[in-house]
Amino acid sequence: MSKKRETESFLPLTAAMFHILLALADGEKHGYAILKEVARRTEDKVRLSAGTLYGNLSRLASSGLIAESEVRPDLVLDDERRRYYLLTEFGREVAVAEAERMEEALGQAHAKKLFRKPKLA
Amino acid sequence: MGKETLPFSQRLFRALVRVLPFDFRTNYEGQMEGVFREQHREVEERGGLLGALKLWKETIAGILTTAPREHWQILTSDCSYALRMMGKNPGFTAVAVLTLALGIGANTAIFSVVHSVLLRALPYPQGQQLIFIRQQEKNLGIEDWGFSVKEIEDYRAQNRTLSGLVEYHAMSFTLFGHGDPERVRTGVVSANYFELFGVQPLLGRTFLPDDEKLGAPPVLLLSYEYWKSNFGSDPGIVGKTFDMNDKVHTVVGVLPPVPQYPNENDVYMATSACPFRSSKMHLEDRDMRMMEVFGRLKPGVTVAQASADAATIAAGLKAAYPKSYPENIGFTSSATPLQQELTKEARPTLLLLLGAAAFVLLIACANVANLTLARMARREREIAVRSALGAGRSRILRQLLTESFLLAMVGGILGLVLAYGSLELLTDFVGRLTPRAREIHIDSQVLLFTLTAALGTSIVFGTLSALFSRANITSSLKEGSAGTGSGHPQNRLRSALIVCQVAFSFMLLIGAGLMLRSLIKMQRVDPGFVPQRALAMKTTFSFSKYTTSEQTVVLLKKLLYRVASEPGVLSAAVSDRYPFEPESIVGGAQSVTFSFQIEGRTLEPGQAPPVTTYSSVSPEYFRTLGIPLREGRLFTEKDDQKAPIVVIINEAMKRQLWPNEDPIGKRVTNDGGQNWGQIVGIVGDVREFGLDHPPVSELYVPQAKSPAPGTLLVRTAAEPRSMAKALTAAVHEVDPQTAVTRILTLEQARYESMASPRVTASLLGIFAGLALVIATAGIGGIMALVVNQRVREIGIRIALGARPASILQMVLGQGMLLAVLGVGIGIAGAIALTGLVKSLLFEVPPTDVLTFSGVGLTLLAAAALASYLPARRAAAVDPNVALRAD
Repeated sequence: MSKKRETESFLPLTAAMFHILLALADGEKHGYAILKEVARRTEDKVRLSAGTLYGNLSRLASSGLIAESEVRPDLVLDDERRRYYLLTEFGREVAVAEAERMEEALGQAHAKKLFRKPKLA
Repeated sequence: MGKETLPFSQRLFRALVRVLPFDFRTNYEGQMEGVFREQHREVEERGGLLGALKLWKETIAGILTTAPREHWQILTSDCSYALRMMGKNPGFTAVAVLTLALGIGANTAIFSVVHSVLLRALPYPQGQQLIFIRQQEKNLGIEDWGFSVKEIEDYRAQNRTLSGLVEYHAMSFTLFGHGDPERVRTGVVSANYFELFGVQPLLGRTFLPDDEKLGAPPVLLLSYEYWKSNFGSDPGIVGKTFDMNDKVHTVVGVLPPVPQYPNENDVYMATSACPFRSSKMHLEDRDMRMMEVFGRLKPGVTVAQASADAATIAAGLKAAYPKSYPENIGFTSSATPLQQELTKEARPTLLLLLGAAAFVLLIACANVANLTLARMARREREIAVRSALGAGRSRILRQLLTESFLLAMVGGILGLVLAYGSLELLTDFVGRLTPRAREIHIDSQVLLFTLTAALGTSIVFGTLSALFSRANITSSLKEGSAGTGSGHPQNRLRSALIVCQVAFSFMLLIGAGLMLRSLIKMQRVDPGFVPQRALAMKTTFSFSKYTTSEQTVVLLKKLLYRVASEPGVLSAAVSDRYPFEPESIVGGAQSVTFSFQIEGRTLEPGQAPPVTTYSSVSPEYFRTLGIPLREGRLFTEKDDQKAPIVVIINEAMKRQLWPNEDPIGKRVTNDGGQNWGQIVGIVGDVREFGLDHPPVSELYVPQAKSPAPGTLLVRTAAEPRSMAKALTAAVHEVDPQTAVTRILTLEQARYESMASPRVTASLLGIFAGLALVIATAGIGGIMALVVNQRVREIGIRIALGARPASILQMVLGQGMLLAVLGVGIGIAGAIALTGLVKSLLFEVPPTDVLTFSGVGLTLLAAAALASYLPARRAAAVDPNVALRAD
């Protein structure tokens, strides 16, 4: 399978998966931090529960889109039970492909003038 | 860390998480709990019940959507792995699937019969409300006395437990107006018969109350099968007319394809159309009993209540008509569920077969578990590697269960195909035992049974093999080779499984052996007559053409004269029935039994009168059948209608009633002394009600005194079947309207009478044979494996000077030890289970020494043969090769 096709085989990503990848885009995070970040960035529109979060993390990890980080922050700050996740290069490609797919769809929506300007009273 | 009590929320969360797969939990449970704790803390800080509820809602939904997805993922990967493993070992897969298919197939087939016949409700609305009522003469041993018209009227008027009561009797009439005269099986029923059963007609209507009035224009209902086969499903059949009993009958409807109880009939007519049932004698004489009675319970009434009600009515009748119900006959009446009544003969046989089939499945399970264990020995390393790579124990257990599940499912599907293929044969067999046989089919519940059987099977053998993989995971990585000795726990389990297989096979073989011995004994029973080269022809003549007994006697004489003159006929006779007639086998002696008085003997108060079966025969009857005369004389042509009544009795009657005197010259009566018959001869006993029934008292009267339609019996010089055509033509030459409805040799009749035990023995034999093959193959398999595992040790023994003969003896001894243990347990099991077969055996004790020793020797011989091959291989081990092998 070519690399492009392998990337595309993951598309479209579910909202939860896409937001998890986004959350990891700027550095590794532990589970709770991912959850908080997603909630903050989507203004609580995408809310992950413990079950959905780790179900998705498990699937993303087994597909190689994310990986567990070897590096840990200072022990003082760190809860030893916490595990940190990072975005793999492949995961980044998949996230980019998903974003491009959305962008293209958005462009088509604009071309079709789907977004009407509010009429002036 | 001290034991701290967790907050309730966390305990609840932990409980919730348990729905996730074990491996997932191992990986993420701690982290999930951490996240949840943080979320919960946040909500608590903010306060507010709404927030907490929202969190719980999201958490529960999240886990419940994640769990099935994770389980599914594991299942698909396990299945594809299992399929790859099955493909890699086609030999193992084929043997395991086939063994399971045989086990599951046998069970599915027998269960479909048990389900359709014994378990399913009758296919009528509220079938459980239908009951069968019988009048009994307990002291005379008559379980079903039948009902007269007067009695039916009484039960209908007096019962308080039934919403309806109908009568039934079966007749054979000749139907004209549709090609050749044709004998049709006719059910004569009450007008509300089909209404009571809840049967709606397919075409036209069923009977109306007016149809039952005396003198009403005769009407007919056709059964679905008769309409289809004889009238090509003609939709315009309603309104067509046929001649029957010299009257025009109009078809008013066609029945739907429902099972017909108690017999299958071609047509149905209302009671008033039957020339016998509507005769003055039947209408007025309380003692003219020939009807059967069915009822439907009122809602909420139990069968026991209806039975008590019937007994009360019987007691009332006894008080009102003491002449009809003498004190000493033990007259009473009772009710049984119709379903039970229709299946009482099939029940013991079917349950025995179901038990046998279950044994076959158990043996199949043990065998596949053994095969799996043998394969596990070779897979230990693979599993150990998987385990070392991080697969948890439960993950491996799950993988193994998936593999066994797939095997069982494939076996189950194949078993279903086998069961489907055997259904016709089984239906034919069960048809001899119950009228419900036609309902046998494979439905959703049978499929569910098959699925459960397959699932249960996979759990049994999957768990057995998985348990051992757990025990061995750790050890096998450390050990370099599979050089495990006979003390290996896995081998012990395998040996135990072999012992079980031998034990179950032994019990099945005993069952089959006992049935076979019964059958052989039954075949050797002297029937009391010579069945070879004798032909029976069932005939019916037009009841309306021959209305008086004089006319009938003339017809019978003409028939006999014409048939006897046919070349190749040695002698010919007429009788009301022939030995081993299916109706006699089913109804038993009691269906033709009556009570009588002996001149000069008075009964003590409460003493039951003597009873006997009764048969009216023409003078040549005894010679034609080859029944020997013991004393006195046979009937002659002079014993005609005008002559004084003479009777002949059999030896059983003499033994019973005149053990120490000569009965010749004694007189008997069955009408209170109006007519006396004098005994003129004694003949040998005939076992006409089945070879497994002891001879009963029989009284013969001359046909001229009681002429009745029945059977033409012919003894021929050559093969009797070759004469069937010529004899039928001879009958039609005398009277074209006399129908010959059944022709068979008496040897055929004897063979047919043993059909039920024969088929039971055959089916048990098939099951037992299957078990023997599986168990023998199992012994051979484990001995081969043991030899393989011990090649090094055997090599060392030989190198140290052990003789090949002693090695052979050692291996053979091991195999035989398993077989002997199995046979020992089997003997105990078979003795414990004898109650199951006892009622089906004939003159063979359930602990028959010959059968037990024969079966034991067969099994041991098979085991010896199976162990011999691996033993010979062991004896031939070359120590140089064996020691170099590692």
